[in-house]
Amino acid sequence: MKSIRHRLLVWLLSGLTLAVAAAGLRIYFQTLEEANALFDFHLKQMAASLPSDAFGPVPPPSLGARDLQDQLIVQIWDRTGVQLYFSRPGSNLPQRAELGFSTVITQQGRWRIYSAMERNNVVQVAQPMRLRQALAAGMALRSIVPLLLLLPVLAVLIWITVGSGLRPLNRIASALGERTPQSLPALEEGPMPIEVRPLVQALNDLLGRLARALESQRNFVADAAHELRTPLTAVQLQIQLAERAESEAERRAAFTDLKQGISRASHLVRQLLTLARQEPDAAQRPDVEVDLAEIARRVLSEQAPLAAERNIELGITGDDDVAVPVRGDGEALRVMLGNLVDNAIRYTPGGGAVDVSLRATQDRAEIIVADTGSGIPESDRERVFDRFYRRDGSETQGSGLGLAIVKNIADRHGAVIALDDAEPGLRVRVSFPRP
Amino acid sequence: MRLLLVEDDPMIGEGVRKGLRQEGFAVDWVQDGRAAERAIDNDVYDLLLLDLGLPGKDGIDVLASLRRRGNAIPVLILTARDAVSDRVKGLDIGADDYLVKPFDLEELSARVRALLRRKSGRADPVIQIGNVTLNPATHEVFLDANPVALSAREFALLHALADRPGAVLSRAQLEEKLYGWSEEVESNTIEVYVHSLRRKLGQDFIRNVRGVGYMVPKSS
Repeated sequence: MKSIRHRLLVWLLSGLTLAVAAAGLRIYFQTLEEANALFDFHLKQMAASLPSDAFGPVPPPSLGARDLQDQLIVQIWDRTGVQLYFSRPGSNLPQRAELGFSTVITQQGRWRIYSAMERNNVVQVAQPMRLRQALAAGMALRSIVPLLLLLPVLAVLIWITVGSGLRPLNRIASALGERTPQSLPALEEGPMPIEVRPLVQALNDLLGRLARALESQRNFVADAAHELRTPLTAVQLQIQLAERAESEAERRAAFTDLKQGISRASHLVRQLLTLARQEPDAAQRPDVEVDLAEIARRVLSEQAPLAAERNIELGITGDDDVAVPVRGDGEALRVMLGNLVDNAIRYTPGGGAVDVSLRATQDRAEIIVADTGSGIPESDRERVFDRFYRRDGSETQGSGLGLAIVKNIADRHGAVIALDDAEPGLRVRVSFPRP
Repeated sequence: MRLLLVEDDPMIGEGVRKGLRQEGFAVDWVQDGRAAERAIDNDVYDLLLLDLGLPGKDGIDVLASLRRRGNAIPVLILTARDAVSDRVKGLDIGADDYLVKPFDLEELSARVRALLRRKSGRADPVIQIGNVTLNPATHEVFLDANPVALSAREFALLHALADRPGAVLSRAQLEEKLYGWSEEVESNTIEVYVHSLRRKLGQDFIRNVRGVGYMVPKSS
């Protein structure tokens, strides 16, 4: 049963029906009990008022309604057990009875019997129990019939109330139906039942986050497309120059440039993918305990050829045997440190040095990359983390994404990045909370 | 014809410079907005190729201040910004044409030729002076319908003179139109080219104005 309206209706009506039935039963038994007391009293009175003279006429009983009297059977015996009187011969009543009240079962149903000694005779008055039950049942029915008649009315009322109670949900549904990925305004919070308000607020919260995520994705795609144009333009120019080349040497030079252009475009695409994977909303690998020192050693061995090519001294300073554990995604942390070291190497003139060092304090774990390059002026230190931001006069060709990726990964790990001056050069310090 | 290219990306800058030189243009290349402004102040350029996303001073700002100072040099914007609003803004701020990256080298040179033609007040892509016909797009020259073979420099010199018939251009001005910064100019090259052109097109085609320079007379 999927409809709330249906379910409420069925459960409420079933509950009411049960309640009415219970009330009916209660009334029945209560009435029966009272009828028993009353009728027993009548029986006693009746027995006392009967004439003891066996041969006298039977006087009409003075108590009870006519039909009740009709049902009464009177027997009288003398001391020796000889039946003196039987008001309705042929009835299957016991011929002798104990004194006092008793209930017997005969072929005509249950009977209530009262026997008493009146002078020298035994007087017995019997009445069928059926009478009392009919009285109680009649009473119970009269009480519950009006309630039963009310049930359909209640059903209609429940149907209408539940329907109007759920109407705000229909409004929300149709308002949500109007939302498109291009337009995700918040739902109106106007008058509504307090039960529905949390739903609307949660939906508005979700809509807001969704709109922001979509907006950031759209910007990212637009930026990425824009940035891809530059290497593609270079590639197209070089292809045309290669086509036009008149000598073998010219052609070879053009092809060398072309290869460079293509490797640059591939680098940009790789960085874009890395960034997309590190976006805060992207699916993530579960965090595990990783050792920053181990990651640093791996990154340095990967970057060593580039450093050698540029004649840059690259190494880990300080104690490199100590493990520096943090909780996180090892692969992402490797990408992060890789970008930092790669940047340091690219922005350091030949003959310089790039040092990576690790530090663990009570509650922080730090990794520091210092170079002997030209550094980043104070005014640029915020903006270098923006996507595609290139500093004024920076000659080195990069994707403009390296530090944006670093920032994303650091943010995901709750790490803080600080840039400051080395002597000379730039020192980047990434500080992680200890697990 | 001498062009100033403002482009911060080394690969694109190098590629455009090479490609346009092959078309016979002298091309100077600077990589940022401030250097562009210094170069423009020399006032030797026939056309400016301007990238918008420049470090230092943005291309739009360079263009705006150029027009504010009353400089009417034709400007072709070369940019990756392809939104209609960007193109409209670029043209409204004073650009003469707008080319979105990545572009085709052929299209770039065609647009450059069109802008230069418009600048000298011609609509006809072919220049006709007396019995000499000159086609800047194909670099073909005809003398009375007979093709004349010219070297790239000879053609560039002829084009510079024929572009403004009747105007006298000094040797220095001609050198500026023929050579970019990095190119070596020998002291008597202009004379050598003029001599060779006269031999191919007739002695009277290029006149010498003593102490001033050279000119191609307007066709009568």
